[in-house]
Amino acid sequence: MKHRRIPYALYVLGTLCLLLATTVAGATNYTLWINGRSSGGAPGNYSDFRYWGPAAIPAGINKQAVNWDGRSSIASQSGRVRDALDCFCTGQNWCYIAAYSAGDLLLGYTLANYGGSARTVTNASANASGVCAASGGVQTGWNLKWVRVAAGASGGSELANAGAWTTSEPLVQDLKTSTARAMYNHNDTRNVWFYRYAGARGTAYSFLLPGQDDEVVAYHSSGGVAGNAGRSLCNPGDWLCDDLRLGTAPNQGGSVKWSWHSVVFRDDGERFNHYGDGNWAGIIGVVRDAMVDTAN
Amino acid sequence: MTRWSIRPTRRRLVWLALVVAGALVVGLFWHQDDPALPLAASAPPAGLHFLGPVPVVTPAGEDRTARRRQLAGQVRLTQHTYCSYLQHTRYPHASRPAAQHPDQLYPNQPVRESNPMRVAGGDSDPGVLVQTAQSRVYLAAGETVEFSLRAVDARGAALPLVVTRALAQGMVAQGARPAPSVTLAFSQDDGGNWRATFAPHAGVLAGFHGTIRSEVRFSTGGRSGMVLFDVIHSPELPAVWTGAPHEAIGPDALEFTLPLDVRLPGRYVVSGRIDDALGRPFALASFNELLGQGTQSVALRVHGKLLHDADPGPALPLVLRDVEGYLLSENADPDRLLLARREGPVLVSRTLSLSGVPDSEWQSEERSRYLAEYAKDRAAARERLAAFDPAATLPPLACSEPGLVQ
Repeated sequence: MKHRRIPYALYVLGTLCLLLATTVAGATNYTLWINGRSSGGAPGNYSDFRYWGPAAIPAGINKQAVNWDGRSSIASQSGRVRDALDCFCTGQNWCYIAAYSAGDLLLGYTLANYGGSARTVTNASANASGVCAASGGVQTGWNLKWVRVAAGASGGSELANAGAWTTSEPLVQDLKTSTARAMYNHNDTRNVWFYRYAGARGTAYSFLLPGQDDEVVAYHSSGGVAGNAGRSLCNPGDWLCDDLRLGTAPNQGGSVKWSWHSVVFRDDGERFNHYGDGNWAGIIGVVRDAMVDTAN
Repeated sequence: MTRWSIRPTRRRLVWLALVVAGALVVGLFWHQDDPALPLAASAPPAGLHFLGPVPVVTPAGEDRTARRRQLAGQVRLTQHTYCSYLQHTRYPHASRPAAQHPDQLYPNQPVRESNPMRVAGGDSDPGVLVQTAQSRVYLAAGETVEFSLRAVDARGAALPLVVTRALAQGMVAQGARPAPSVTLAFSQDDGGNWRATFAPHAGVLAGFHGTIRSEVRFSTGGRSGMVLFDVIHSPELPAVWTGAPHEAIGPDALEFTLPLDVRLPGRYVVSGRIDDALGRPFALASFNELLGQGTQSVALRVHGKLLHDADPGPALPLVLRDVEGYLLSENADPDRLLLARREGPVLVSRTLSLSGVPDSEWQSEERSRYLAEYAKDRAAARERLAAFDPAATLPPLACSEPGLVQ
């Protein structure tokens, strides 16, 4: 009977559309990349990967560049990260995050201060300012799977202490080791893991940076070590310096890491410096490989 | 009977199943951008373990060993993510074991650092270490900060040092009118340390909001050096502690409530330390909520299950101490106005037994949402590995593998 065939065909098609909509638009994983110091991509343009390297290079599923100006204070730029998290990490959508250098400080600050706040669920479609429209509903915090950190500077850098960088730059003030470590509770990540990657190919500023370094941050920061700065931590084999230990284990000498921070890459071969060279290089390349492998 | 008849239920179900399967397959592949293309310079495996980078597999799947390793790593990663979240969220984010906040337990201890002496021209002298301490980094209105420094050689022996000039000045945006500055009076104590107390509220910087940098120049061993001390100063109190703190047993926690007279509404971030009766740190309690103007309450909670799970349990009564907090301003620099610090004991609990304290795990929409997603990821990772290598040994689903939860 004709009038019965058509409704069932529509029913089948409707089911197909609904399932597609649920699978494609309703539950999507994204990979966010949060840059460090110095400028690069246009803030608010999540497709602009100039800071990192060629955008065609794989860097995790549905990658988005969370660009900020790389020179203003952490507090003033946190809104950029919150906008991105609201866009891609609410509702049915979930995020993997890669943070680099000062981007580690920026993300940590954002989660510690706003990680439990009420967030508007959005449509994951950003306007020119990087803000997404509400799609209905509010949730507590964001949807995050885990974070990988390249050359994390959430423990600050002695280069900021020593005036090696221009002191008029607000971000440099924030990167002073005592300030970066007092800025927020680094242990409060909302129980989201920060997997840390520490490079050790540093030479130029080794006289300023204690222990092993990548030329900008020392292991005490890139390794997520809690407490005061200035602690010398190195690769195994240096008898004059305590070892930075992998995972969450306390370091040689007894220093501990922030909770929910785990060292998954220590540059025992001293092969990776701090700089990406606009081509996913240095320690950024190590994290990029891991994102390709696991952010899916 | 026509082909599209709805009467044969079995046929209808078959079609529906095909549609569902087709949609899922389409949806699955819809997400597969960023294929794992090989790169010229992939990372070496130094320091590698299961969460580290794994050699990138070729698109054709030629390297089955690498692919198997990749999939097995994903199984372990998703298992670790699920199990660690499950275990650690038995207690809410705002009520955590003290051991998980090792650098937050004594917020009023000085910040100590040791750096090679910085000399003129941006160079440094690694043979002279300058040890510095400052009693705090963030200053509420009316608070003071103490600075100290000394010089030691590479073996730790003290070196003679003389402070020649010390100036504190507010940091302002480039191009802005310079902030006032004040001279700091350093003097040497009996131990050879040079010390100064800085009270921003007592001088021309009383109204300054933001970073105040103290530049201290000194001389040691015939060379001139410099250190910088930064503090972030709040010129006013956004709210005032008022009334007596009190305690109650809530639905799932022991609650310490501190009345607060809020002058400036907004997001208040507060934390307090909980010791047991023997003075051993037991928990960190935090508060992060929007407060309106007027008399409000800040509740610092010790989750009941945290008390019950402790082995050995804490010696009662508990003591709330060292409460600090601030009003957080979104997207502003400076971003906070500090509350007056409450140093030392604030409240001694009257609860001397856990018999009336609830013993339930924390439950919330957030926790359920996370556990559901993490469980889904874990199941998907296991399915991928099993599909690739049916002979692969999957780890047990139970979250009891030693060393898994860190």
